[in-house]
Amino acid sequence: MAVTITDETLVHAKDVTKVYQTGEVETYALRGIDMEVKAGDFMAIVGPSGSGKTTLLNLIGALDAVTGGSLEVLGKDISKMSRRQRADLRLHALGFVFQAYNLFPVLTAQENVEFVLELQGVNNNRSGRAREVLDRLGLLEYANRRPTQMSGGQQQRVAVARAVASQPRLVLADEPTANLDGENARILLDMMRDLNENQGTTFIFSTHDPRVVAYARRVVTLVDGKVAKDVVKENDTDGGV
Amino acid sequence: MKFGTVLFKYASRSLTRHTRRTAISMTGVGVGCAMALIALSWMNGAFEMQVRAVAESGSGHLMIVHRDWPAMRENTLRLTDWEETLAAIRTTPGVRACTARARANGLLAFGNRSSGVQVMALLPEHESEVNRVVSRSRIEGRYLNEEDPGAVVIGKGLAKRLNVELDDDLYVTLPGTDDIHSAMLRIVGVLDTGSQDLDLTICHMTLANLESITGIPGAGEITMLLKDHNDINTVKERLETKMPGNNLVITWKTVLPALASGMQGDKALMRLLTAIVITVVALGIMSAQLTAVLERRAEFAILSALGMKSGQITRIILVESLIIGLGGALIALLVGGSAAWYLASTGINLLYFNADALGPSNILLDPRIYGSFGPWLIGYAAAISITATVAASLYPAWKAAQIDPADALRTQ
Ligand SMILES: Nc1ncnc2c1ncn2[C@@H]1O[C@H](COP(=O)(O)OP(=O)(O)OP(=O)(O)O)[C@@H](O)[C@H]1O
Ligand SMILES: [Mg+2]
Repeated sequence: MAVTITDETLVHAKDVTKVYQTGEVETYALRGIDMEVKAGDFMAIVGPSGSGKTTLLNLIGALDAVTGGSLEVLGKDISKMSRRQRADLRLHALGFVFQAYNLFPVLTAQENVEFVLELQGVNNNRSGRAREVLDRLGLLEYANRRPTQMSGGQQQRVAVARAVASQPRLVLADEPTANLDGENARILLDMMRDLNENQGTTFIFSTHDPRVVAYARRVVTLVDGKVAKDVVKENDTDGGV
Repeated sequence: MKFGTVLFKYASRSLTRHTRRTAISMTGVGVGCAMALIALSWMNGAFEMQVRAVAESGSGHLMIVHRDWPAMRENTLRLTDWEETLAAIRTTPGVRACTARARANGLLAFGNRSSGVQVMALLPEHESEVNRVVSRSRIEGRYLNEEDPGAVVIGKGLAKRLNVELDDDLYVTLPGTDDIHSAMLRIVGVLDTGSQDLDLTICHMTLANLESITGIPGAGEITMLLKDHNDINTVKERLETKMPGNNLVITWKTVLPALASGMQGDKALMRLLTAIVITVVALGIMSAQLTAVLERRAEFAILSALGMKSGQITRIILVESLIIGLGGALIALLVGGSAAWYLASTGINLLYFNADALGPSNILLDPRIYGSFGPWLIGYAAAISITATVAASLYPAWKAAQIDPADALRTQ
């Protein structure tokens, strides 16, 4: 089933810049990004190391403040939001998958998922809903395992489950497959793509891996803090590794 | 934060990551608090014991004196209507026992020996109720009777110094209103208090006897013991409303100011030492908690990325420290509680340190000091331990809340 990309714009970046100040030294991480992300997108951000992929994802994820330009996420201007408001946006509308250290080692897979629901203030049957999410993604057998009792691939899949548990509009993943082998990378991307097609969840992920890029429906290439290429594949198949 | 929530599980299980560190933290707080409990138990017990010893060694909890006495300390000052006042005090609620006395500085002589002494003239039938120097001493011969003209009881040390025995006649010289009076008095009893120093100061006769020798009528002081020493101020206020003429109510602290301030000083020193111990323990906890926070930078970054507010992150650390505090309180109760129980039940024998039972200011101390033990230990253990750990964790908690997620995830 092919997902229909609606006209709704989830991310609207206009001349976004980000400068890191380290003592006297200024690093221009982003030098004017113009970009729109529509609801239903399944988008990869690629580019050489240091090109600004993580910086851009952090800005869209409301984890950091922009230096210049305007950035709207889900209709809200990030640059005008307080720390607390950004935390609220992350909590209620965004999902995150990081490269590593995603899961809390003292909690089981199910509790990791439940945690997000609890933070959101979901009151009834949190554990049931957490199990449901794991079940839907074929992860129920890991429900009672702690991260140390799971492989890296299993951990990343649970991290995705946690990211989508509260059905956010947008999930951001910074190099989610960097620590995975080809087979596990394929399983993870299949899962993400499935969520995108069946639930309409929008994904933006960064990667260095061409096999992962192949899954994307749209590929944005960053070079030196600018968008060098923005390609939307016309006849998209299921991708492939 | 509720029990059973994932947030609570996260906080409590975080303490199991480094069980040894958690155990050391708990033990540190526990031992520190145990020391505080032992100090408090000892301090309360010793204070109570000292107050009792002081009160029962003659000065009473409260005393009625002439209003000029505190400044002059003059023995010839006399109370207004002492008999009526004594009767009124006897029926005042809170008073256990009371008696009246007069004192005079005199000279005792026998053969070619003499010794200056403060003569205490008293009501023999009541003195033993308020004065352990009388009630607890061994006596050779007998103590004074209600009507006992010409009789005197002296301490064993004084008898030795004067080289006298029971039934010898002492030549006593005492100052009157405007001249010196003398009399021959028979030694009817020799007191052995157990303290050589105290024995050297004892010379008792009846109040009527002193009146007849010196020609100065009346009593110079009324001393009383209360049922509970904590009521000193209430009873003092109660009595002040019915004091006639020049009579003044004072506490034992006014009678023995040096002793009172010494005891206060002991208390303050004990408190200071306890505060230092707790502070050192708290700094240790702070360092351990700070390490725990810095080790988990990436985790706090993820928590923050998931949308957790800084207040909630602060609370996680505070809950963790609360659990450490509770563990510490338990250890403190086990260690400090059993030590306090030992102090309270077995006590510590002062004679072990000092063969003489005499304390400062002619106080006849109890040979054993008992610590205090009671439910108050639970409250104190919990309060000290939890306050110390939570206070020590405020900075680490604030530090955790300040972690910038983007920054922390990059540098991990
Ligand atoms: N906190 C920071 N302080 C200073 N410079 C920074 C900071 N974060 C990023 N940079 C710089 O900004 C630029 C972009 O970094 P960014 O991490 O976004 O690159 P990236 O494309 O994600 O690289 P990689 O593929 O290696 O993950 C780099 O030159 C980096 O050194
Ligand atoms: Mg990066």
